[in-house]
Amino acid sequence: MEAPPIIETRGLTRDFKRVRAVDSIDLTVHRGELFGLVGPDGAGKTTTLRLLAGLLDISAGQAVVAGHDLVRDSERVKPHIGYMAQRFSLYAELSVLENLHFFAEIYGVPRADLKARTERLLAFANLTEFQHRRAAQLSGGMQKKLALACTLIHQPEILLLDEPTTGVDPVSRREFWNILTDLYLAGTTILISTPYMDEADRCSRVGLMYAGRLVTVDSPENIRAAIPGELIEVYAEDWQAARRALQDVPGVLEVQTYGEALHLLVDSAPRRLRQVRAVLRRARVRYRNLRPAPLRMEEAFVFLIHRLGSE
Amino acid sequence: MSTRRILAVARKEIHHILRDRATLFLVLFTPTALLLLMAYALTVDLKHVPIAVLDYDRSPISRRFVAQITAGQDLDLYAQVGSYDEIERLLVQGSIKAALILDPAFARDLYALRGMPMQVIIDGTEPESGAFAVDHIARRAETFVTQALAAQLQARGLPAETLRSIDLRVRTWYNPDLKPKNDVIPGLISMVLGMPALSVALALAHEREHGTLEQLLATPIGRAELLLGKILPYIAVGLINVALIPALAIFWFRIPFHGSFPLFFALSAVFLFAILALGTLVGVFMRTQAAALALSFLVIFFPGFFLTGIFFPLASMPEEVRLEVLGLPGTHYAIITRGIFLPGVGLEVLWPYAVFLLVLGTAFTAVAALFFRKKLG
Repeated sequence: MEAPPIIETRGLTRDFKRVRAVDSIDLTVHRGELFGLVGPDGAGKTTTLRLLAGLLDISAGQAVVAGHDLVRDSERVKPHIGYMAQRFSLYAELSVLENLHFFAEIYGVPRADLKARTERLLAFANLTEFQHRRAAQLSGGMQKKLALACTLIHQPEILLLDEPTTGVDPVSRREFWNILTDLYLAGTTILISTPYMDEADRCSRVGLMYAGRLVTVDSPENIRAAIPGELIEVYAEDWQAARRALQDVPGVLEVQTYGEALHLLVDSAPRRLRQVRAVLRRARVRYRNLRPAPLRMEEAFVFLIHRLGSE
Repeated sequence: MSTRRILAVARKEIHHILRDRATLFLVLFTPTALLLLMAYALTVDLKHVPIAVLDYDRSPISRRFVAQITAGQDLDLYAQVGSYDEIERLLVQGSIKAALILDPAFARDLYALRGMPMQVIIDGTEPESGAFAVDHIARRAETFVTQALAAQLQARGLPAETLRSIDLRVRTWYNPDLKPKNDVIPGLISMVLGMPALSVALALAHEREHGTLEQLLATPIGRAELLLGKILPYIAVGLINVALIPALAIFWFRIPFHGSFPLFFALSAVFLFAILALGTLVGVFMRTQAAALALSFLVIFFPGFFLTGIFFPLASMPEEVRLEVLGLPGTHYAIITRGIFLPGVGLEVLWPYAVFLLVLGTAFTAVAALFFRKKLG
């Protein structure tokens, strides 16, 4: 028999004064999953995470987290979760170590374990040499790692992370994900929201939110596979002209720009390559590197959002 | 309820107070600064009020009367003038606050025992100085009449003692010199010691604004643990001020202290509990520091100033605000500080006010705990 899911919601809904921020979500996360919540800004990711952390009242629906009913008993849920808010939410005038100790006291970490745990977390987050520095004086990446360390001090079963890597440099981002991967491998359930599609690709399952609804839930591979078509990448000298010329070619489902490159979502790459070449030549657009490319989460995401937007 | 959590929050708050210069200044020095400032501004004894005299009589008696009135430090003779126009000019300029006009028949009527025909004009835009001048002139006039009568009686060979039928000797207790500062400063203490309430009101909003509350609410900390942890350090800071402020009053302003110090400290602690609970209540309802500040002024400081009886006697307040007045911790504490400072009364008199403060503090805490929810938005 399968173990009961560690997070399960039925019709989870949250209304603010004018908007329904979260609209009837059915979300199931199993123990040990690394679940990514993606979606455009304002889709309801933050509200969903806050609801699951017991920080907001639930307007309608049910939610069970770590075996406790969130509507009736949100306080019973809290010892089991580590929640990391999107904005920096530690005490800026306390040092790294003082912040860790503060949360250790609040969560009631046994005194005997305190030293070993803080040392391990400091090493884990590469903050050992900065432990006496005030949190206000840390770089953005270090602040994020400290925040993560603080949410880990009580060894929670579930981590709820709201865009933990937004605004962090690529090196720190990679470091942060290495830590998350270690936690995932150690069996911690992680629910993370992210605007970065390469991060979504690293999750075991991804949920796409749009306008408060959870529209798709699947593994990254399946989400990519479900997109009808394949990708052609082309670098054109005048990408705007190229874009205009290619937009209405039969078989081209969508044109997305990526810096200098254009990504064409087509029904079949081998069949359309020659056609695209012909159209560009006719439009007198010079180009290089016209080639089929693997479809990434990014294209899949944009395609899905555009399709939802036009519905 | 976990003392460990309460202490963790309290320790964190103390770090915040000590490391944030603005907060440190607010809690430690504003009460002292405020007391100094207000005590000097509000206890100016009226002295040397400038007046003009228009003497139509020009007799030796009228001149003696003017000399007697302007002797001493109360009224200064700014100018002898010749007309009403000059009086008006001086009043408009603000050079004088009052003018005394003596009738041409001043000496004659006084001699004939028909009275003392004179007029006093005061500047109504500054009623305090004006009333002071009128009061002073009236008192001097009475003495002057009595002396004049006695002189006449003696001249006619009659015993002047018959005049002393009424012998009113006023003795003022507790504040024999009737110095306003002896009354105002102990009252002000009740107001400035309420300053930490402002910090408490701001402290919760500060956590909300800086996002730290979001993190804290996601932990299993209890609501009461959080509120108590936040109040405790401010009680400690408040107690430092309870030692500092009376020292300032006694050694700097030389206010006599007749009561018991231990009682003063104990009742001050009770007051701190009540006023900080009120500050917490404000903090619970307000989302931003700006709003918390505005509301603190509205419910703690303005009424603390005007309604607690520091300047306007409680008895003179209209029925409509009586209830509000009783709900303000400052009202009861002002009675306590004044009682302990000057008459030096003890608990046998002050216990009802202490009970009031305990009841208020408990009520404020209860309402704050009731409305403080561990939720955002």
